[in-house]
Amino acid sequence: MPDSDIPDSEMPAPEMPAPAPPTPETPANPAKRAERAGGLGFALSAAGIAVTLLVHWMVVDWVPTEASQGIVQRIFYIHVPAAWVTFLAFGIVALASAAYLWLEEERADAAAVAAAEGGLVFGAIMLISGPLWGRIAWGAYWSGEPRLTLTLLLWFTYLGYFLLRGSVANPRRGRRFAAVLAIVGSLNIPLIHVSVTWFRSLHPGPVVIKPEGPTLHPDMLATLLTSLAGFTLLFLGLFFLRYGTELLERRTGLPAGGRAQQGE
Amino acid sequence: MRELRRVAIIALRDLRAELRGGGRLPAMIAFVVLASFLFAFTIDRAQISPRGIAAPLLWLILLFAVAAGAGRTFDGEEDDGAFRHLLLAPVSRHAIFLGKSAANLVLLWIVTVLAFVAITAFLGVGAPGSVSHHAAVLLPGTIGLAASGAFFGLVSRHSDLGDSLLPVLAFPLLVPVVFFGSTASTRIFLERPWTEVSGSVRLLWAFALGFVTVGSALFRHLTED
Repeated sequence: MPDSDIPDSEMPAPEMPAPAPPTPETPANPAKRAERAGGLGFALSAAGIAVTLLVHWMVVDWVPTEASQGIVQRIFYIHVPAAWVTFLAFGIVALASAAYLWLEEERADAAAVAAAEGGLVFGAIMLISGPLWGRIAWGAYWSGEPRLTLTLLLWFTYLGYFLLRGSVANPRRGRRFAAVLAIVGSLNIPLIHVSVTWFRSLHPGPVVIKPEGPTLHPDMLATLLTSLAGFTLLFLGLFFLRYGTELLERRTGLPAGGRAQQGE
Repeated sequence: MRELRRVAIIALRDLRAELRGGGRLPAMIAFVVLASFLFAFTIDRAQISPRGIAAPLLWLILLFAVAAGAGRTFDGEEDDGAFRHLLLAPVSRHAIFLGKSAANLVLLWIVTVLAFVAITAFLGVGAPGSVSHHAAVLLPGTIGLAASGAFFGLVSRHSDLGDSLLPVLAFPLLVPVVFFGSTASTRIFLERPWTEVSGSVRLLWAFALGFVTVGSALFRHLTED
């Protein structure tokens, strides 16, 4: 019997396909993820700016002046947090890069790029503030001192990270090469950490994390810890803002400025 | 054992290709001899002790020789497509990396001997110290240089910036090798006891093993398409 002869009431109900469970890769999610990262980044940046303003007041008006070096020692409250954030950023780059190589997950690469940009900026602050302090404390802007030299080389490694990413025609290969470079470069970080104790060095040793406890004046310690918190919040804020932008750029193929992305 | 044999086959194959006119070795030799002459020519020997400056110059020349020659490890094979076939061969990526590094090491050793002779001759260093001690310092240093040349050679080969990118990527990581190598070699030139050198040599071995191990572990990520 042809199908048309079957009354409508006896027709079997057409099998409706079961609705697909929502997957993490639905088109709306990257934009939402970017929005969430942007919101978090904005909040952390605002908190970071507020704490940094407080630190400026503490450094200028509140903390006592160090006896031997005088007023120039106050660079310490900028230099040390900038160094901490730089190493934190480059550590994140290395971990995110390892995750990218392992999982081939775009988000890990976006996180690595965002952290590397932050690391370069805070690294530049560290590398500029250090010699300014050294000019007064050591009598010279620069010395062949191991921690200084290795840190400058680490900064150049991450400059190379961006040069490499931008100069490989195949973007996927460029990301992979950059991830490998980030991991190799991060091997310098523990060497920089131990260089003060391993080699003859002009660089001051640790004054906070010591077996016998911090040897800083309590007001100086409070200023330093506040500054560390402010710089960390500011970095994390910028990191999440940049991470959100990077996700959006990859989603739309357009950089934030609106120009078409080359080679993608 | 089988892996070692494959490493040796790849290294010998590279060296044979080089002897048949690869062009890297003559370029490296010409570079180190000319650089030694130029460095010696520009130094005022009345002001600077030749025995004090010979080691830093030697290590800098070796560093630049890596950029000039070892960094081109993959150029010929990439141009004619042979490298793609090598990747398809039943050989592990570790073996390829180690074989390439071993071939670089042999070339670098030829260049090192020439650079050592040239720099001591042009600077007029009469007694350069114990040759075996120099070899003990140069061996781990050149292993690190050769491995990094093979590693970054492939990276810069695929970059639009080409050779100009290699120093930016490799030099920051190789400066500690040059620093410790130069410190140790200077002490040997000045005929100081081995105990003053051994600490730097241990660090050079640590760097050499680090470059070989990390390079070998990460090389496969550079060769995936």
